[in-house]
Amino acid sequence: MNAMEKVAWTELVVSAVAVAVATLLSPWLGSAATSAFALLALIMLGAVFVRRRGDRTVIDERDRQIEKRATSIGVGTAWMTLFTALALATVWSSYSNAHAVSTEFLNWLIWVQFAICYGMKGLASVVMYRRQQHAA
Amino acid sequence: MPRKKEPTLSNCIRDLRTSKSGMTQQELADRVGVTRQTIVALEGGAYTPSLTLALRIARTFKKTTEEVFRLDE
Repeated sequence: MNAMEKVAWTELVVSAVAVAVATLLSPWLGSAATSAFALLALIMLGAVFVRRRGDRTVIDERDRQIEKRATSIGVGTAWMTLFTALALATVWSSYSNAHAVSTEFLNWLIWVQFAICYGMKGLASVVMYRRQQHAA
Repeated sequence: MPRKKEPTLSNCIRDLRTSKSGMTQQELADRVGVTRQTIVALEGGAYTPSLTLALRIARTFKKTTEEVFRLDE
């Protein structure tokens, strides 16, 4: 497993754990459970894997190509989720005559976007690395 | 309308590396400036290199790119 694959696994696991912890805490803490998304900061630990060791190449053109593709998948998925969630919220608020969306919902939506973005980026990277390994 | 199949790029890096120069994957990776995993993917035909990398590999074996890489259409 190369350095960038380890970074991808870190992004995937940290995002999944952050969503799981926030979901588990929400019955007790309510909107404050979104503070569990602070765990996303652990993604920065991935920098440990890409530190330079001697003259050996750590990140090459294949890693950059995979990261580029994975980033566009992650960002694209997050945007599509955001649009869909906002469209559904708008439809629901009109249907229920509330004419308002709760700030609690928006707070969750923003944090979940971050988790989806990094989670999907990590997942897409892991899948691409696995596919190339199996094909080889 | 049926989609035209994408041409694939095959190579003889493994043969050149093992039979001609007895080089390890890590040694080749260090020479051309990539990770060992990229050499593994290249030898397995799972990754198409950039033109720069293809030229670097060909130069390492003192061959032309056409001698190392072949387009299968």
